[in-house]
Amino acid sequence: MDFWSYFVMDFVKQLQSPTLAFLIGGMIIAALGSELVIPESICTIIVFMLLIKIGLTGGIAIRNSNLADMVLPMICAVVVGILVVFIARYTLAKLPKVKVVDAIATGGLFGAVSGSTMAAGLTVLEEQKIPYEAWAGALYPFMDIPALVTAIVVANIYLNKKNKKKRSAAADSIMQESFSKQPVAAGDYPSSRQEYLSEQQGPVNNRVKIWPIIEESLRGPALSAMLLGLAIGILTQPESVYKSFYDPLFRGLLSILMLVMGMEAWSRIGELRKVAQWYVVYSVVAPFIHGLIAFGLGMIAHKTVGFSMGGVVILAVIAASSSDISGPPTLRAGIPSANPSAYIGASTAVGTPIAIGLCIPFFVGLAQAISGLPNP
Amino acid sequence: MAKPAKKLVIVTEKILLKKIAKIIDEAGATGYTVVDTGGKGSRNVRSTGQPSVSDTQANIKFEVLTPDRDMAENIADQVAIKFFLDYAGIAYICDAEVLYGHSFCGPDGC
Repeated sequence: MDFWSYFVMDFVKQLQSPTLAFLIGGMIIAALGSELVIPESICTIIVFMLLIKIGLTGGIAIRNSNLADMVLPMICAVVVGILVVFIARYTLAKLPKVKVVDAIATGGLFGAVSGSTMAAGLTVLEEQKIPYEAWAGALYPFMDIPALVTAIVVANIYLNKKNKKKRSAAADSIMQESFSKQPVAAGDYPSSRQEYLSEQQGPVNNRVKIWPIIEESLRGPALSAMLLGLAIGILTQPESVYKSFYDPLFRGLLSILMLVMGMEAWSRIGELRKVAQWYVVYSVVAPFIHGLIAFGLGMIAHKTVGFSMGGVVILAVIAASSSDISGPPTLRAGIPSANPSAYIGASTAVGTPIAIGLCIPFFVGLAQAISGLPNP
Repeated sequence: MAKPAKKLVIVTEKILLKKIAKIIDEAGATGYTVVDTGGKGSRNVRSTGQPSVSDTQANIKFEVLTPDRDMAENIADQVAIKFFLDYAGIAYICDAEVLYGHSFCGPDGC
């Protein structure tokens, strides 16, 4: 009885947090056709600020903490990242009207981590005065990179298998067939050009190289900002600039980013409607399942090495989140044949609002109910 | 006093910027211009000032001046083979006359 009353009370309270208010506000004004535009360069700088702050926090904390404590949570993060892709491969991909490649890409994006969702989660934990390891933010890359790498590798293995089957048919049918699948491209090419194209399409070696994918995700704007912050936090003494600049601005900037994400979510819903409806179902259910898996693994770390409940919540939140900044370009480059409307639409339009709006309060409530922490 | 040239224009997705730039360089063009752009095509309306947290929606336009049609076609073919099945894109070619341009026309001028 106590469990549920804690849980429900907390959940309702979370729904009134500024983070969520701005997110929903953004969706509402976008739905009303507002002309409000936040310049893209501001979003870029906000993302940079948020992640460098998270990096700095983590770096400063790592300097004063025992590295051995971090090992188990990191392993949990890696496991969840990889698992999420396989869940998508064997659930979403089997649904009718869902292309396997699109499903794998969606899985990769949902396995990858959203910096803004994590920032929102950290803010909620601070507001609730729930203690967590400050280095928990540094778990980000350990889930993000394995998920993206797994998705790209699994998708390419699948595509290579499919291509081999096709190659046993007529030699040049590969090009023709892929052309006919995309009427958009097909009509534009005169026959002479098309002949030229099929001549050029020799046997391509499609072996997937893993290192370039890791390199690309490390170079992405979100991860490079966070790793820079982490390095500065570990190696130098950035406390003065941290206290006077990055820390106080954090919440305000987050609220602007939430507004933008709300607006973007609304503008993408239309795109999602064009692909299969199953993506909506997946992107509502998946954040909870992924989060619960991570929560379970985090609880093991909690029992064995004393990983704090706040840390468990962060692990669950980053598992529930789906990448919106660095993931999409990496996947677009790694799995070009996947339809971006499907996976970006699923993540941005549904997955992220669900993760921020419902999953964060859900997991905070769950953690508080389990540990019986008093509600402040 | 103008040197005839071909202008190749490629409108495509921003994430291909570096890869296409490499193709153009390797084909031997002396230079190129890239602009951010947006508009409507067969796939979707892209980069029309909608708020966006990642760059996946942005479009770019390459303009390359080449001395002959062969080089322009070579670039366009390579780009089309590699990318246009999976990415949004269009390539077209125009006649141009270069009036000034040191590296394009050589030391004697156009």
